[in-house]
Amino acid sequence: MNRVIFSLIFIAFIIGAGGEKVNAQCKQQVVYNCATNNGKAIYLRDFNTKLRKGKDNDSGTKWAVVLNNGTHYRFNLCAQSGYESSVILTLFDAKHPEDSAPYMVTKSTNDPKTNNRFDFICQKSGTYYVSIRFKEGVEGKKSCAVGVLSFVGKSR
Amino acid sequence: MNKLRNWQSMIKNLFYFVLVGFLVLAFSKCNGGNDENINIDSLINDDVTAIPEGEIDKIIQSLPSPVEMAALINDVGIPFSKSYLASPEKADDYDTNFKKALGLGVLSADLGYLNVYAQTNEIINYLATIRNISDDLNIGQFFDFQTLKRLATNNENMDSLMFLSVNSFHQMDDHLRKNNRSNLSALVVTGVWIEGLYLVTQIVKNGSDSKELKERIGEQKVIVEMLNQILQVYKVQDKNFELLAADFEKLKMAYEPVDITVETGEVTTQEIDGIIVVIPKDKTVVTMSVNQLNTIVSLTESIRNKLISL
Repeated sequence: MNRVIFSLIFIAFIIGAGGEKVNAQCKQQVVYNCATNNGKAIYLRDFNTKLRKGKDNDSGTKWAVVLNNGTHYRFNLCAQSGYESSVILTLFDAKHPEDSAPYMVTKSTNDPKTNNRFDFICQKSGTYYVSIRFKEGVEGKKSCAVGVLSFVGKSR
Repeated sequence: MNKLRNWQSMIKNLFYFVLVGFLVLAFSKCNGGNDENINIDSLINDDVTAIPEGEIDKIIQSLPSPVEMAALINDVGIPFSKSYLASPEKADDYDTNFKKALGLGVLSADLGYLNVYAQTNEIINYLATIRNISDDLNIGQFFDFQTLKRLATNNENMDSLMFLSVNSFHQMDDHLRKNNRSNLSALVVTGVWIEGLYLVTQIVKNGSDSKELKERIGEQKVIVEMLNQILQVYKVQDKNFELLAADFEKLKMAYEPVDITVETGEVTTQEIDGIIVVIPKDKTVVTMSVNQLNTIVSLTESIRNKLISL
C-alpha cells in the first residue's frame, strides 16, 4: 500500500517537473505586448514556443498556417530580453523551403518599427509554415519566443 | 539481520521508484515532441480514414482565425449589419457538447465581426453567451469574462478587447486539442469557418459586387476540402457528425467546378514605410460562374441556419 502511495506521489512530482518544461512558453503578458504593439494591424493568432539548445532545426517549433490570397499580413517576433538578436521567425512553404529559400526571415534591428518584423502580401491561398528557432550557430539556452500574425488589410 | 532486511527493502523500493520515474519520463517525452514532421498538403490528398488524430490537430490548428473574414469585410468598406449575426439567445437550446462546440465557433466568428466594427454594446451579449458555453465545455478558465466585459463596457482600448477575445478563443481551442477532445475542436473551427463564409456570402447575396469578396468565397475551396476530410474522419467515430459531414460533402461538390489556377512567380521584396514587405509574384485566377456562386451562397445559408437551430 505504502509503495502505491509513494509511487503516486512520485509520478505526480515527475509529471509536475516535466510539465513545467513542456509548458515553458512565453507568458500571456509577453504575447499581449507583442500582439498590441503592431500599429493598426489586427491580431489574428500567435505562435508561442519554448526554445532550447538543439541541433540544427531542433531548437524551436514549426506551425502550419493557412493564408489567403489578396491579403496583406504582418509577422513579428518577440523574444525574451537579451535574446532578441538570437532568435528568428521564418516564413516558408513546400516550394520555398525553410533551410534554402524561405519567403523571409526576421532580422533584428535597432529601430522598433522594423525590428524582427516583416509584411507578407499573399498571392496564393494555401498552407504556409512558420518556424521560430535560435539562429544557426547561436549557442542558445532555454528561453521562449512568440510570433504574432496580424491582418494589415487587403492587398492594394 | 533485521537491518540487512531493511536495507534490502529500501534498495528494492528505490529501484522500483526510479524505474517508474524513467517510464513516466519516457512517456512524457513521447507526447511532448514538437510539430516538426508536418506537411498539410500531403495529408489532404491522403485517404481520409487514414489521417492520424495528431495530424488532424495540425490541420485544425492551421485554419484561419475567427476574425480574418470580418477584417476583410470591413477593409473592403462593407457597412456593419447586425442582421447577419446569429442570435446569442439561441444558445440556451444547445443541450449537447456537439451543439455547444458548433455554437461556440459560430458565436466566436460573430464576436470577431463585432470587434472589427467596434460594436461594444452588442459585444457584451455575445461575451456572456460564449462564457456560458465555454463553462459548460469546461474551458471557461481561458475566457476572462470580467476583463473583456470591462473593456467592452468602457469602450476602451479596442486593441486589447480584440486581442483578449481572439486569444481566449485560441487558448480554448488549443486546450480541447491537447486534452484529447479534438472532435470538439473540429466542431468549433467548423462553426467559425461556416459563419465567416455565411457573412461574406450574405453580403454578396445582398448585392455587393466586391471582387475581393467573391474571390474569397471561391478560394474557400481549399478550406472546404480540409474541413470535409476532418469531418469524414469523425463521422466514422461519432454518429453525431453524420449529418454535418453529409452537408460538407454537398458543399465540397458545389465547390468542385470552381477553378483556381496559380501562376508561380519570383519572390520580391520592397521597403514600405520602413517595413520589409515580401511580395511573391504569383498570380491566382479564380473562375466561378454566377450559377456556381449562387449555389454556394444558398448551400452555405442552409448549412449555417441548420447549425444554429440544431
